[in-house]
Amino acid sequence: MSTPYAALILEDRVHGSLYTDTQVFADEMDRIFRRGWVFVGHDSEIPKSGDWVTRQVGRESVIMVRDRGGAIHVLANRCAHRGNRLCWRERGNGNSFQCIYHGWTFGLDGSLRAVSHKAGFDRDRAEMPLDRAGQVGLHRGFVFANMSGDAGTLADHLGAGGRDLIDRLCDLSPTGNIRLSAGWIGHRVESNWKMWPESDSDGYHLDFVHASMLRAQPDNYYHDTVIGGESANVSRAVDHGRGHTELDLRPSYSRELAWLGVGRDRVGAYCDALEARHGKARAERLLWDGPPHGFIFPNLFLGEVNIARIDPLDVGSMVHAHTVIQLEDVDDALNRRLLRQSEAALGPASFIVPDDAIIAERMQLGFQGLRPPASGSSASGGWIDLSRGRAREQRQPDGTRVGHVSDETTNRAFWHHYRHVMESRA
Amino acid sequence: MSATELATARPLLVPEPLRREIEAFLYLEARLADESRYAEWEKLVADDMHYWVPKGAADYDPAERLSYINDNRPRLATRIRQLMTGVRHAQTPPSPMRRIVSNIEVLAIDDVAGTYTVGSNFVLYELAVQSGATLRVWPGRVTHRLRRVGGELRMSQKIVELVTATAPQWNMAFLI
Repeated sequence: MSTPYAALILEDRVHGSLYTDTQVFADEMDRIFRRGWVFVGHDSEIPKSGDWVTRQVGRESVIMVRDRGGAIHVLANRCAHRGNRLCWRERGNGNSFQCIYHGWTFGLDGSLRAVSHKAGFDRDRAEMPLDRAGQVGLHRGFVFANMSGDAGTLADHLGAGGRDLIDRLCDLSPTGNIRLSAGWIGHRVESNWKMWPESDSDGYHLDFVHASMLRAQPDNYYHDTVIGGESANVSRAVDHGRGHTELDLRPSYSRELAWLGVGRDRVGAYCDALEARHGKARAERLLWDGPPHGFIFPNLFLGEVNIARIDPLDVGSMVHAHTVIQLEDVDDALNRRLLRQSEAALGPASFIVPDDAIIAERMQLGFQGLRPPASGSSASGGWIDLSRGRAREQRQPDGTRVGHVSDETTNRAFWHHYRHVMESRA
Repeated sequence: MSATELATARPLLVPEPLRREIEAFLYLEARLADESRYAEWEKLVADDMHYWVPKGAADYDPAERLSYINDNRPRLATRIRQLMTGVRHAQTPPSPMRRIVSNIEVLAIDDVAGTYTVGSNFVLYELAVQSGATLRVWPGRVTHRLRRVGGELRMSQKIVELVTATAPQWNMAFLI
């Protein structure tokens, strides 16, 4: 029986079985992670010809590789002969991929180059390349892909809002380019993957879940931007459409560079370089606004200076993998500062995300045993309320929907798009 | 001594009282961490402490690549302050833990700096009671650097190389 998504996802509430039902997970891996655009990596991770990294798209292992002409391919990490995994390391460099089972060799573009003992092989090699993503697209170096090839354009998927989030991040680099060169840290969490697009863009939980961090770090900028009471706080929760969301912290910053925790005296050369690229007024704006806090549907978190991707493992298990942006043409000290800032915030031993992970795991436990209600009736229990701020959020002329930072505008935005995808790709 | 040199170092034979003193320090440090006795554990830490849990082997510059933990003394103080707030949910309540420390070897002695570099293996058993109450096993190797401060041993370095360090890690909000 197919899952009645419209009955489980209402405008102001969703049913808990969506986090625990294995059929829902199977549907998601197909409709969202195989037939829709997902974030794979960044072109700065594979700067040279032959550089590759392994990633997952949905549950499928892929190789993101740069060929001799500089083009980026997203190939299935699976020999076209008998399916053996080709690359088992996280990253590497080479001229080709050779399967260790029977020695078949594939080019950097996935084409089958050589078959061992070829006298007994009567197929045309051109018919046997590695499987590959049907579409690969880049925006400011961020590589997105989908396996099916019929997901529409990347520009449509990102929309103006998604592109703007990425642009605002990259514009903080004096060259306009960021580098993801500091490696990825994987954080294993025993929760459904959807807890993270929700939690990473939830502005309502910080003074509860992160009370210990706020007490231990009294100078943390979250005090100004997401804490401080409902009336005092002027940050905004934004629905950019297509499932992309943002906690817009910009209105709350009380000084320039608050997001970096230093003043202009410490990073003068960086401020000058930004001004040389953008002009004085725009540079001042950028230095005040800092990097965005946004989520690109379904698996990319732009967490100020951090980048995280959500890798689902099964219906109740996933990895929150993160790295930190590094800026081009700045002092090493500034990039090291970003790196230290990232270590404090994200990862299994950091000061922030382990507490989110506990919440996600406890929610997952809370949803155990729920069955989808037969008729979508709220009387049957197991519903999650997402109604907060519905009356006060405003639709803007540009189509975005904006609420108070503590409103569930972002969560509703995720589920609204999720329902659309799950129904339209049924 | 570089990480590579340490990895191939022959253990030094040290006088028995010193060996016992070093072992006693490692066992005390392990027990205080196991029992989440944060303030007492912090008293074992020297002012120039480096607490490092690298992603993979400890063969890279943590200023250029991310680590699970890369604490200098102030960052470690923040970590302990956070644990002691009582609302560090990832360790509320603290995980019941026990670790076995073994294969203790004195790898280097620096007479000028007055430091001992000590390698050991460990297996830590943790019950993640904050969520699903599953038993998690954390095997690895520690390299301590110890120094005498006012007659007592303190640690100025603790590097923890997990066997699983290249794989994703569950919450590691305790003192590993």
